[in-house]
Amino acid sequence: MNNIDDMNTLKSEDHIHPHVHEHEDHNSSMLEFPERVTEEFNTDKMSPLSRRKFFALVGASSAFALASCNNYRDKGEIVTYNNKPEFSTMGEALYYASSLNDGSGILIKTREGRPIKIDGNPEHPVNLGKIPQTGHATILDLYDPERLKYPLRKKDSALILDKDELVKIDWVKADKEITDLLIKASAEGKEIAIITHTVFSPTQKKLFSDFQAKFPTVKFYTYELHSDNNRAIAWKECFGEVELPSVKWDKAKIILALESDFLGNEGNTTEQIRMFASKRDVEKPDDFNRLYCAEAAMSLTGMNADYRIRISPGKQFEFLLCLTNEIVSKGKLSVDGSVTSLISGHNLAAFVKENDLNKKYVDYLVKDIIQNKGKSLVHAGEKLPVNVHIATNMLNSILGSADLFDLSSRNVSYSAYSTSQELEALVSNMKNGKVAVLINFDSNPVYHFADDYGFSKALEKVGTVISFTMNQNESSNGNNYILPINHDLESWGDFNLRTGLFNLQQPVIAPLYSTRQKEAILLNWISAKPDTFTEDIYHKYLMDRWEKEIYTQANPAVEFRKFWYSCLHDGFINLSSKAVSGFPQFKLPAVTMSQKASGWTVMLNRNYTVDDGRYSSNGWLQELPHPVTKAAWDNYASISPKAAKELGVVNNDVIEIKIDNRSVKLPVMLQPGMAENVVAIELGYGRTIAGEVGTGVGHNANILLSKKSGISEWIFESAILTKTGDTFKVFSTQEHHAVDEEFVKDLHFKRDIIKEGTVEGYKKNPKFMKEHEKELQSVNAERLYPGLKWAMAIDMNKCISCTSCVISCNIENNVPVVGKDQVAVGREMHWIRLDRYYSGTPEDPIVSTQPMLCQHCDSAPCENVCPVVATTHSDEGLNQMVYNRCVGTRYCNNNCPYKVRRFNFFNFRDHFANGVYLQDSLKLLHNPEVTVRSRGVMEKCTFCIQRISEARQEATKDGKPLKGSDVQTACQVACPASAISFGDMNDKESNITKLREHNLGYHSLEELNIKPNVTYIAKLRNKHEEEDSANGLHS
Amino acid sequence: MQTDYTVETSVVEGNPSFKQIDELIGAPLETLPNRNFLIAISITASMLLTGAIALGFSLYYGIGMWGNNNPVGWGFDIVNFVFWVGIGHAGTLISAILFLFRQKWRTGIARFAEGMTIFAVMTAGLFPALHTGRPWLDHYLIPHPNDHSLWVNFTSPLLWDVFAVSTYFIVSAIFWYVGLIPDFANLRDRTKNKIKKIVYTITSFGWRGSNRHWQNYEMVYLILAGFATPLVLSVHTIVSFDFAVSIIPGWHTTIFPPYFVAGAVFSGFAMVQNCLILLRKVFHYEHIITLDTLEKMNKIIIVTGSMVGYAYAMEFFIAWYSGNSAEAFTFVNRAFGDYAWAYWIMVSCNVIFPQLFWIKKLRRSIPVMLVIGILVNVGMWFERFVITVTSLSRDFLPSSWAYYKPTLVDGGLLIGSFGLFFTLLLIFTKTMPVVSIAEIKAVLPGAQPTHHKAESNNGK
Repeated sequence: MNNIDDMNTLKSEDHIHPHVHEHEDHNSSMLEFPERVTEEFNTDKMSPLSRRKFFALVGASSAFALASCNNYRDKGEIVTYNNKPEFSTMGEALYYASSLNDGSGILIKTREGRPIKIDGNPEHPVNLGKIPQTGHATILDLYDPERLKYPLRKKDSALILDKDELVKIDWVKADKEITDLLIKASAEGKEIAIITHTVFSPTQKKLFSDFQAKFPTVKFYTYELHSDNNRAIAWKECFGEVELPSVKWDKAKIILALESDFLGNEGNTTEQIRMFASKRDVEKPDDFNRLYCAEAAMSLTGMNADYRIRISPGKQFEFLLCLTNEIVSKGKLSVDGSVTSLISGHNLAAFVKENDLNKKYVDYLVKDIIQNKGKSLVHAGEKLPVNVHIATNMLNSILGSADLFDLSSRNVSYSAYSTSQELEALVSNMKNGKVAVLINFDSNPVYHFADDYGFSKALEKVGTVISFTMNQNESSNGNNYILPINHDLESWGDFNLRTGLFNLQQPVIAPLYSTRQKEAILLNWISAKPDTFTEDIYHKYLMDRWEKEIYTQANPAVEFRKFWYSCLHDGFINLSSKAVSGFPQFKLPAVTMSQKASGWTVMLNRNYTVDDGRYSSNGWLQELPHPVTKAAWDNYASISPKAAKELGVVNNDVIEIKIDNRSVKLPVMLQPGMAENVVAIELGYGRTIAGEVGTGVGHNANILLSKKSGISEWIFESAILTKTGDTFKVFSTQEHHAVDEEFVKDLHFKRDIIKEGTVEGYKKNPKFMKEHEKELQSVNAERLYPGLKWAMAIDMNKCISCTSCVISCNIENNVPVVGKDQVAVGREMHWIRLDRYYSGTPEDPIVSTQPMLCQHCDSAPCENVCPVVATTHSDEGLNQMVYNRCVGTRYCNNNCPYKVRRFNFFNFRDHFANGVYLQDSLKLLHNPEVTVRSRGVMEKCTFCIQRISEARQEATKDGKPLKGSDVQTACQVACPASAISFGDMNDKESNITKLREHNLGYHSLEELNIKPNVTYIAKLRNKHEEEDSANGLHS
Repeated sequence: MQTDYTVETSVVEGNPSFKQIDELIGAPLETLPNRNFLIAISITASMLLTGAIALGFSLYYGIGMWGNNNPVGWGFDIVNFVFWVGIGHAGTLISAILFLFRQKWRTGIARFAEGMTIFAVMTAGLFPALHTGRPWLDHYLIPHPNDHSLWVNFTSPLLWDVFAVSTYFIVSAIFWYVGLIPDFANLRDRTKNKIKKIVYTITSFGWRGSNRHWQNYEMVYLILAGFATPLVLSVHTIVSFDFAVSIIPGWHTTIFPPYFVAGAVFSGFAMVQNCLILLRKVFHYEHIITLDTLEKMNKIIIVTGSMVGYAYAMEFFIAWYSGNSAEAFTFVNRAFGDYAWAYWIMVSCNVIFPQLFWIKKLRRSIPVMLVIGILVNVGMWFERFVITVTSLSRDFLPSSWAYYKPTLVDGGLLIGSFGLFFTLLLIFTKTMPVVSIAEIKAVLPGAQPTHHKAESNNGK
């Protein structure tokens, strides 16, 4: 036996074993061979199994054992701060005010230096704490694992075969090469084209002019796939003013929305929803506004209308003229001659008859508008043509609705949209080789521009194409340089959306990758030394401009730095002046009359989630169900059920839609309430380069766009629809039933899932809902909650079903994205959902919606069936999930009458899109206060228990008892209508207690007597008194 | 045909000798597997392998491989479980309840039926164990001392299931084994093979066939029969509680316990009858498992089938009579909704076809009873499918309704469950006596002389 060998064995073993293991092995070996290894050490008597052999075996087996063990908890080290950073405490969130690129004032929650949630800035005068769902979800884009991480350059085509292959390039080198190109282009007098989206930033605007000063051949082109341009043109023509005033929706008593989805996706929706909902306060039933919608496609606004009139978009102009004529004659209003000559001869009654409009509704509309002259607002949708907007302005000025427009707070614009002539000129210059450099400034023209411009073909003739972009897209494909840019949360900036209101944008995290903010790249190229880039170059530029412009305007009593920090702290500065009263003088411009057309009318609509396609790679937004159809991950052609029957198609049948020589194939969606012979398609889908998540989702209907507008840029007539015989499945989170299918008709009312009434009925008898209430008896003794008891109330008069709450909940609670294939089999994971039910007829459906989340029932049916006590009731009335205990029998979900429990059928992060959301960067996004659930575990709404715990800690720290009002749930914070209330129902003074006892309060499926803790305030439809008895809605 | 009801007919035909019985029943155990057996077991083993692959997918990727979705938390997994537990009902009913009622015709079929019970419950037991999202934590369902403060919830029917099924399995297994002891001793004494001798020596627990042994044996057997009898009724009662205790329309109904027990006996008898038809043919047991016995089984099938039919009708009636619109909707939906096809398969197989057994000629016809037996099992599988899936797929809120569609993996597991059951059954036929040698001898004509009417045992 060789001692040295022994030593070696030991050493190598040491290497393999953790210390604890080694120690135990020694002990056991000592005990097992006590006589043989003690003082005697008689080698003859020793076992043939040598000590070396023994250790070798032990070592090997332990090594195997260790190799097969994998501690799933061990996800690397958690390193504490060596030196505590100023202001930051581990475990405590810090909030920063900033802005998104659309100008929303936001408040960013950061934990340990990483942003984890975006909400509206509560102090921001426009946002008042609310932002649209895209704003919430954009935090995912920051951590998108497919973001470009360094600049790329096309490989030299002479050297390799595949000329499109990209190589990594230094920023310094890229700067040098590109500035040389720019200087060369300027010297040769060749155009440098920069294509941007709308500019909201005054400093960016200044940068653009500085850039133009340095390189005189620069031309800027601005476009949006959807824009408010027609309204702006009409306003200018009618009133001679460029900037549109903001609308005071909360002052309007009667609102007529013409194909306008002002609650859904048009304009500043959060502000509009808030103002609209403020006039739906059940405490002031006399103050209710009444919403009329005249539209072809069923929009979110149309769903919420008290009266909805189906009308084709091509008829809107005629309708407005008839309506104006009727109002002028019936209301005996005086108008000037030019108006009279325009409207005379337009007979409303004949129009109604000819177009099969709902006569009763139109009569109500006329009556209401005349009665509420000055408080009636007519609002035309952004996609309607200029002449409709002119007619709208005419009617509004005839009605004297001056008070409804805020002339002192206008929508500021820093760039005019390029006209189609300008874009055509650009393309022809590109074709003729007159454009040396083309820069896509965070824009995607290849995907967005109408095909007949020939833009993508002309790109081949451009010497150098550069994209400033966060992710690869259609326009960056084949570029000479692709320069990765910062996310909003990594950038500096300022925005000016309303007169005098300046937002600041500040970075809350250093750039995650080797990226620069897009403004800094341009600024660096025009700086004295482009090769020495400094991170704060745009920061300084911004401060400099603010010192010169804003500081002098504000003229505060403090020095600039103090002013600057205070603005940064607030996120904005409001320099707006006093309200300007009065209405500008209306002058009727020349209007083009609408042509009568035959065939199908195609409307290309803005979608509710992925915008113009810029959020395509955002899984949360792709999976957010459409507020009307509940479809996720797809777009489709919506047509009316009757039209579908005539075409011989059903849901998911593919049809071909042809306008002139442009055609697209899309699956059909039967949409109740669609006007006949109108097909509505949402744009923003069918992206071909949008990463693992967004590529190939839906169909690209941008193909139907044309530089020659139809009725407007987004509405075309004389389209031909043909059935192809193919099918393509579009999946929704709700089944589609025909509205008039007797078997399932009105089940939401019959089963007391939803209760509704009318304003008039409520005014007559405030207790109308309580009259039919039965006393429910229970065999169980009632459990008492002496301390706090959490409860929620949702006011269905305010809730417009916008789905912002869903996104906010997803982010707060680390809800995974499951993908289209899992939505297809009904496994979406959303903890809160917006249920949508139709009643009425397929032509004239009445839509009821209901946010559905865990009701935290006092006698929760899920709790008693769980065999392992994984779901329990807390002392404060919360129905809790103990993920660690859950074995996943799914019995709780089976027994939940609301079906709000969600099961992790897979590890969805791993399952979705090749595990793209399992990558490291996404881990930074997770809310550290909420467990990331594993496969095989049930989950559901917790009433944001982590927020309750946090509030309790704060209260304990301050030595005060926790109050219900200290806690706000994520959905509540996000709700733009403030429809959600949350709090302690044992606190008799609290709002929640009042709502629970409200005359309109009800529980869904109350008869089951499971005592839910979510109270719904019944929706009151603002119908005309005469209709009360005819409408059997309220149960 | 005139039947003399005062005379008990012999359950064994042809008056074989004890030695003939020994040889006949021992024959499969003393010969090597023949070609037919190898073909049969390779088929069942392939089915088992299919199931194993499907299970591998389920365990590796998660039960998302199945068709279950958010409203329909239980699909094939629980359908298969209830189906197999139901199959497991006939055996103990035959061996225990019929034993207590002194039904001698049970003798020829009891052992085999008990074996089927054991294997069916084993097959059934796999499903609740594997249907969980995290099967590696299934031990949380068993109350055991631990340092995680884990305990079980005694109000959950699923937990009752754990106890009901495991108790049933343990008692059935003991009952079965106790019955086997004298036969093992018999085989021990007959065999010349050294290894078999050792095995049978151990398994026969030193049985010498002494008077005292027999006395104790009879007493144990009687006590166990008494013990097993309530279990036959309790197991499926408790399985039905999984549904009846919930609040879901179509589940929440008090008729479930008797309805489930009747259904279980129904399907169990059909399965036993099917297997016996094959067994008696292959092993030439026609005079031990007589046509009379099969006919008696068919009579039980028609009785239980009619009870099941009554339950279907009563469910519908109560759904209407209760005035509960959600309940009424569920039943109309079953018959005319998305799953109407499954409902009508169930009704025709369970209620309509068994009625053919009213005709004596048909209930004594082997091919007819084989086909009807198969149909009954198809029908009973669909009954569980209809109850489980249709109720969940359209419950209270129309917004959460969703159609359940099983996947290939679901199908694989169903095939695998049949593979497991029949593989075990085939192994059973080659390793243990499928008819009780000792008990058959006891019911041979003249085996139990009585002091009066001795001649009446001749079966004339």
